Amino acid sequence: MSLISSLIHPTEAEKHVAQRPRYDIEETDNAFGLTVFLPGVAKAGLEITDEDGELHVKGKRSAGVPEAAPALHRETSDASYELVLSHDNTVDTGKIVAELKDGVLRLSVPKAESAKPRKIAIS
Amino acid sequence: MRYIQLTNPETRGLAPTALGGRHGELGLDDQLDWLFGTALSGFAGVARGGQFPVDLYQDKDNTYVRAELPGVTPDAINVELVNGSLSIQASRKVKSVAGEEEASFSRLVNLPDDVQADKVSAAYENGVLTVTLPVKEEAKPKKISISVN
Repeated sequence: MSLISSLIHPTEAEKHVAQRPRYDIEETDNAFGLTVFLPGVAKAGLEITDEDGELHVKGKRSAGVPEAAPALHRETSDASYELVLSHDNTVDTGKIVAELKDGVLRLSVPKAESAKPRKIAIS
Repeated sequence: MRYIQLTNPETRGLAPTALGGRHGELGLDDQLDWLFGTALSGFAGVARGGQFPVDLYQDKDNTYVRAELPGVTPDAINVELVNGSLSIQASRKVKSVAGEEEASFSRLVNLPDDVQADKVSAAYENGVLTVTLPVKEEAKPKKISISVN
């Protein structure tokens, strides 16, 4: 056992730790657009919740190859994905639209009316 | 375009190391290459093009290559067997501030010699490409029964 492989290879306990997925956030006047990369996650393994100003995205990977097949080389992990984003409640959480396609989750989070830019007319 | 070559798993021996991985059997240079290659792929890889992570599995019937390619349409994936290596190329349209640009990814994976090249199949599901490569019949372990008189 070398030092480097002991650093790279997780122990059994570490395998249960969730992995933060790669994500992007875009902002427009009316909404936030969130793109989360979740390769290997099917619709059934995805859970999106919003509570106390925190948006949680949890994704469980589904196995792609027969489980009995031993791995020769791994660059990915089996850990679930978990992303927590906090917001200041100026979003309309009731109108969040989510779409999962080809391992990419796209969330549209509309801003609350009070947070949208307003043009003030000068009388 | 950049090709990253995996070390041929056959050259690493078949007994798993104490940690279940095979990297313990590589030299320090290989380990550093592997470590930094993987670390760097994490930044630009999936989002902007370049490398993507690949897993290699093998059971007695098949070798499986599993590649994470989220957001790529199956039409934009090209899988080819070239001289015993598996070439995976894919492209994805990426929206950015500057407009829409195309990101391309490619990777060359060295395969064991006993792959049956004409029976390769590939499937894409949930952003993961799985290529199944059957092992040649003559390479499979055969049980020879000995009759005792």
